[in-house]
Amino acid sequence: MMSSVPSGDKKSKLLVYSVEECPVCGQKTKRAFAVGDYVTKDGAKCTKCGNQTRVALVYAEGTKPSG
Amino acid sequence: MSFLPSSVALQGLTATESEFIYIVFFAGLFVFQFAFGTRIQVYFALNDIGRGLGKLKVMKEKSRKEAIDYLVNVGKAPNDPSQRVDQFLDYVTIMPVGIDPNGLVNKIDHVVTTNNDRVRAEVTALIGQNNPVTVSISENLLEVATALNMIHKIVRHYYILGKKTNSYFTLIQLQMLMPMIIQESDALLNAVDSFKVGQPVGDGIGPVSVSRLMIGKEKRVIAKDTVMAISEYKGRKLYVVKADGPMAYVGQPGIAIRNVIEEMGVKPSAIIMIDAALKLEGEKTGEIAEGVGAAIGGIGVEKFQIEDVATKNKVPLYAILVKQSILEAITVMRKEIAEASDKVVQTLQRVIEEKTKEGDDVIVAGIGNTLGVAQ
Repeated sequence: MMSSVPSGDKKSKLLVYSVEECPVCGQKTKRAFAVGDYVTKDGAKCTKCGNQTRVALVYAEGTKPSG
Repeated sequence: MSFLPSSVALQGLTATESEFIYIVFFAGLFVFQFAFGTRIQVYFALNDIGRGLGKLKVMKEKSRKEAIDYLVNVGKAPNDPSQRVDQFLDYVTIMPVGIDPNGLVNKIDHVVTTNNDRVRAEVTALIGQNNPVTVSISENLLEVATALNMIHKIVRHYYILGKKTNSYFTLIQLQMLMPMIIQESDALLNAVDSFKVGQPVGDGIGPVSVSRLMIGKEKRVIAKDTVMAISEYKGRKLYVVKADGPMAYVGQPGIAIRNVIEEMGVKPSAIIMIDAALKLEGEKTGEIAEGVGAAIGGIGVEKFQIEDVATKNKVPLYAILVKQSILEAITVMRKEIAEASDKVVQTLQRVIEEKTKEGDDVIVAGIGNTLGVAQ
């Protein structure tokens, strides 16, 4: 008889990123999420124009399941 | 063999020996299935549910441990919180009686608010600090542990009841529900990882979208755990409402919208609500849907309050929804959902342009858990 209880799925691993966006030139920089990051938090200086960037998004992207 | 036709058994005219064995075998199988089929299915159902129950127990214990670890390691609880957490997990909220529906929503609101206040007071007392982010995360972790504890208890109740009474239908129904129960429990357990580190969850797409309209604007507390900022778009004055982030709050958008209209005396031409919506299987994550009505989930109190104030003041309600699954809604925000925020803002701007005119006031509410989303 087939079991109706799902067994351990092969889940894709999620990597979480923070995207910093420059409010002046719009340049976006994606980096790994660091504990304490939140949307609208000040980020690093923009590498293009030197202005203060801001964390615009925090999201997870999946990687293909191995095996 | 009494079940064979007497003519066949006695005379042996129509069946060869092998045919006879064949008939006996299948006739026996038929009788066996008739007599014991249900018992066999009950046996398999019990096995199946028992295995699921084991998984639920592991999940329940893991979430409890995660909550205690967070209270100790991040919350810096001065004493061992285990005993208090166990009491917390069994705490019940008794909903008001519904036989007289008059004023029922206010009664539910009162009970729920009392419970929320109690949870926050207890968590604050448990941990050795007042950091609102840590307190709100602790509240959410304890809520997850409580939910998993309750799911485990209910499934165990019906499992034991079905076993005791040998009730085929109780067990089969429970067996059929088990995949969904396990899936939702798994989603709850996965949510713990996001909560612990303060990552925005899929449900936070409303707050993420409206936070863009609030950056650099003065914020004021408009209701408990809820903030409002005044913004401007193409000659319209926007009253933007969201829960106070980056704490794991959902706020009180119902009271907030009521306060904007009744206490501040604003006469909005539209209320536009942005929220996550559960997608149906086959729908794409991050798809945007538009509609009318109050886009808000939960127990129904906030929805009632918003519909009530909108109806009284004849303000049209518009909804912008971002589709996602239950797992995606309560775990770390997926890329497809986060990137939908650009489209949400574009849709919002279009709705404002289409439904209102220059000089109008508009209330924009970002609904959902605002963990990891400030303003």
